[in-house]
Amino acid sequence: MADKGNDPAVIWQTMIGEMEKGFNSFANQAMASPEFSKVMNQVGGATAGAQKQLGELMEKYLVSMNLPSRAQMVGMAERIQGIESQLNEIKAMLHQIHHNSLAPEGGYGAARPPRTKRPPSEGEQK
Amino acid sequence: MNAPAAALDLASIPERIQSEVQRAIQRSIKGVEYISSSGPALGSTPKDVLLSRGTLNLYHYRPIADEIYRVPILIVMATTNRGYILDMVPGQSFIEFLLKRGYDVYMMDWTAPKPEEKSLRMEDYVLDFIPDCVRRVQQDSGEKDVTVIGYCFGGVLSLLYGSIFNDGPMKNLICFTTPIDFREMKLFSNFSDRRYFDVDRLVDSIGNVPPEMILSSFEMLRPASRAASQVQLWENIWNDEYVKAYRMMDRWGTDTLPLAGEYFRAITKDLMWDNKLFNDTMSVGGRAANIANIKVPILHAVAEHDHIVPYDAAKHLIAKVGSSDKEEVMLKGGHVSVVAGANAVKRLWPKLDNWLGKRST
Repeated sequence: MADKGNDPAVIWQTMIGEMEKGFNSFANQAMASPEFSKVMNQVGGATAGAQKQLGELMEKYLVSMNLPSRAQMVGMAERIQGIESQLNEIKAMLHQIHHNSLAPEGGYGAARPPRTKRPPSEGEQK
Repeated sequence: MNAPAAALDLASIPERIQSEVQRAIQRSIKGVEYISSSGPALGSTPKDVLLSRGTLNLYHYRPIADEIYRVPILIVMATTNRGYILDMVPGQSFIEFLLKRGYDVYMMDWTAPKPEEKSLRMEDYVLDFIPDCVRRVQQDSGEKDVTVIGYCFGGVLSLLYGSIFNDGPMKNLICFTTPIDFREMKLFSNFSDRRYFDVDRLVDSIGNVPPEMILSSFEMLRPASRAASQVQLWENIWNDEYVKAYRMMDRWGTDTLPLAGEYFRAITKDLMWDNKLFNDTMSVGGRAANIANIKVPILHAVAEHDHIVPYDAAKHLIAKVGSSDKEEVMLKGGHVSVVAGANAVKRLWPKLDNWLGKRST
């Protein structure tokens, strides 16, 4: 095989790695300045406000088009999530009942492994 | 290295060209496969949902060992991310590792808070959700003692819980990459500079903080890394193992959760601005939360190359807790690779098992 120093693939990977490090380092220095924070928060605040206004406008538009709005879709998703949660609870209860029926005595707890494990001695540690 | 070896080996060039051509063909085939297929199934260790309360889910993972330790474990996941980072595919799942080593494992995992949950406060997490889950773990396991493991901000919540409920039932505490000195999270600190960041206006206008905002603030810490990782993915797309690992981490990394508005407001004001946890002035719901009150055995795992929680932000934890049995372990790797992935399998997990086994009887 060619020496790694001459391998174009290795040279390319090293270059990508170095560029990534260099750019991250440069960007981190720039982002540490108070000016960056000021600009970022001005832009971020304006964007958040604009997004909220646009959302409200879109909601009115969708209502007029007789289409469900995002809020209504989120509401439906929440209801589905609620049904899923209830299904999970029913599943857990069924699981518990199943274990209870398998356990001869002592209920569900008896179906679980005993809590008697001791740590391995030093010699046994992997 | 000797001179002949350092010289370009002309005889190997045809072999190398052949290998590169094969890889180029594989890239095209696998590239199509990558686009048309979904990633590996994550978080598939069998579990039961013991509790579902809005944003909170409490799971119990089904034991797989014949014999388990007396003290159950409750994992408190970071509120910004999904818990399946600790339950990747079999062989790379921290949960599976714990189950195989004989632990009884529960996890507090989070879903996106609904719009009406924007009023969830720090009090709800620390004085209600965690104590409620601890009670349910006690009931379900029949044991009074519980070991708490907190990952990242889950570690902060665990510290707050432990400092308020310092008379039990928490028996051991393990924190992964947990910040306490928020001034040292320098870029986050600058992003949330109180002179320019109007957290009240943000929360009052949008309610829950959207996941895109959380994700972009994480990505801004290393702005070139996403592009570089995609270049690396293309180079290695012929390698199934690389692609699998990439997809797992990429899916988790971009699967960020929104944060409840009031909770975010408290984090910004109390922790980012006033650094109250570090200054011993933190309180939750009017109850003092000084981590010096924590007296239980504690292990803190920190990552050498953590760009999200730099070591300077985490290093004072062990010095400030009141425990006499305390240890910090510094591991190679970053914020995620210290707890998940091949690095964690070799380094952190055996260390944790060794530390916790003795304290779980």
